[in-house]
Amino acid sequence: MNTESPVMDAYEAAEHAETLLGGLARDVRVLKGSVVIALGAADLPEVGMRLRDDSRLSLKMLTLVGGIDREDTMEVVYVLRSMEQPVVVELRAATGRLEPEVPTVTGVWGTANWHEREAFDMLGIRFEGHPDLRRILTRDDFDLFPLRKDVQPRRVPREEWKFEGVGPAVRLPEEPDRSQRS
Amino acid sequence: MSDNITDIDVSSLQPAMEEPLMTGYEQPVFRLEEMIINMGPQHPSTHGVLRLVVHLDGELVINVDPVIGYLHRGMEKLAENRTYLQFLSMASRLDYLSGIFMEWPYVMCIEKLMEIEVPPRAEYLRVIVGELNRIISHHMSYGDFLLNLGAGTPFFWAFRDRETVMDMLEMLTGQRMMYNYMRIGGVRYDMTDGFEEACRRFIKDFPPKIDEYEKLVTDNEIFLSRTLGLGAITPEEALDYGLSGPNIRATGIPWDLRRQQHYSVYDDFDFEIPLGRNGDSFDRYKCRIEEMRQSLRIIEQALDGIPGGPVNVKMPPVLRPPAGEVFCAVESPRGEWADYLVSDGGLRPYRLKMRDPSFVAISALPRILPGHKIADVIGIGGSLDLIMGGVDR
Repeated sequence: MNTESPVMDAYEAAEHAETLLGGLARDVRVLKGSVVIALGAADLPEVGMRLRDDSRLSLKMLTLVGGIDREDTMEVVYVLRSMEQPVVVELRAATGRLEPEVPTVTGVWGTANWHEREAFDMLGIRFEGHPDLRRILTRDDFDLFPLRKDVQPRRVPREEWKFEGVGPAVRLPEEPDRSQRS
Repeated sequence: MSDNITDIDVSSLQPAMEEPLMTGYEQPVFRLEEMIINMGPQHPSTHGVLRLVVHLDGELVINVDPVIGYLHRGMEKLAENRTYLQFLSMASRLDYLSGIFMEWPYVMCIEKLMEIEVPPRAEYLRVIVGELNRIISHHMSYGDFLLNLGAGTPFFWAFRDRETVMDMLEMLTGQRMMYNYMRIGGVRYDMTDGFEEACRRFIKDFPPKIDEYEKLVTDNEIFLSRTLGLGAITPEEALDYGLSGPNIRATGIPWDLRRQQHYSVYDDFDFEIPLGRNGDSFDRYKCRIEEMRQSLRIIEQALDGIPGGPVNVKMPPVLRPPAGEVFCAVESPRGEWADYLVSDGGLRPYRLKMRDPSFVAISALPRILPGHKIADVIGIGGSLDLIMGGVDR
């Protein structure tokens, strides 16, 4: 930390971000210790660029990109960290739930590439302008977005439990001698 | 006729270059296109199941496309379908070498939501068990990295000492790897008889063994030629790619959440952050070795200063954290492990997003590897300390 920019707490950081962003931020507040900035999805790259290049906040590190299925909207969260200040800044933007689409921030933080791919894979959020938007954790021909709330694991009732492929009965191995544990 | 002899064009006597010199044989063909090699998924030196699609020009790497997801268990979806306490026991299965650091941010998130004050003794125990866990994770990283480079002995030396620490962790938590030790509002057990004694003995015995590790490896010429200057990344790129932990500290950026975010009781301890200069494989290795020494210092100070009192607070049997979003992160051996928890006031997490440092490190491979020889791919991958259990979640 250099001497020109004294350490800011979350409230000072929120105030600074509000003046820096002007009309781009819809709402800036401090929640649970982090600065939460609500903004329109279209402004994400511009806001990211300003926050990253600001000399006092210097939010150079993108920690995570998360998508949240709010059942009526889809929310995208970007958690940013500062090299200069011990603050955590969250950017939150809402988008439509069925066809969620937000502009990519890969031009601002390179690490967003894989984080956004994961958000696309898990929730189907399309990141406009992303250089390589493919599925990342699930297989390429998977047809679900598993973390959406309407995708639920199928619960099999206990009576229907069956073991396929191992034959009608499997002989259990003999109980190992547990007295001589290595 | 004699007048015409001088008019013969000599070059027309040579066969055209397109025709084969020897009939009956195929002309050898040298193709100049790139070669694509699949490393993995079942590669002997990957820690888990990772596939690297490597594009080669001769033996030089031009491009790498990491393919992950082979260990995907859907942990984030599983969390949404379990109660808060049920998921706690699954958290340490993510990055199985440093389980404590998966449980820690998770309980921190819930404590922050419910505004629970953790007793100081519990915080000290968390630090002790966390730093012990960091040491055994670095043991594994040291042993495996050297094994990737073709040296077998360091692996066995590291495992010999790792066993001591695992026995101590078993004394404290009841488990060797999947600890399930953190509780919301504290930890599960207080120190058992003999734990402190074993810990102090380890703190006394272990530093000479770290020196042994270094004597065995650090000045070895083969090791130096396979690590110095290889896999280097600049500080700017490391920040852009979001690397953390020893991987970013090797580039010289003093980025350690124990210092920067002041979580838990780390402010009470005096320790140093080892920094590299070149960001190459050697600096990453060296940072990890030094971190083991610093962890010992932290454990010693924590044992000296541990206060008395309870180790957890009484919690209601059914947890219903208030609605809200909360973000917590800890410095795990591999970097910043962060949890983003969304609660809707119900019995189950509404959404749990986890950030794994190895996931981010793998995403930097396409930047780090091009220009290196194919033989160095495994060594550089080992120096980044990738654990696929956390990457694929």
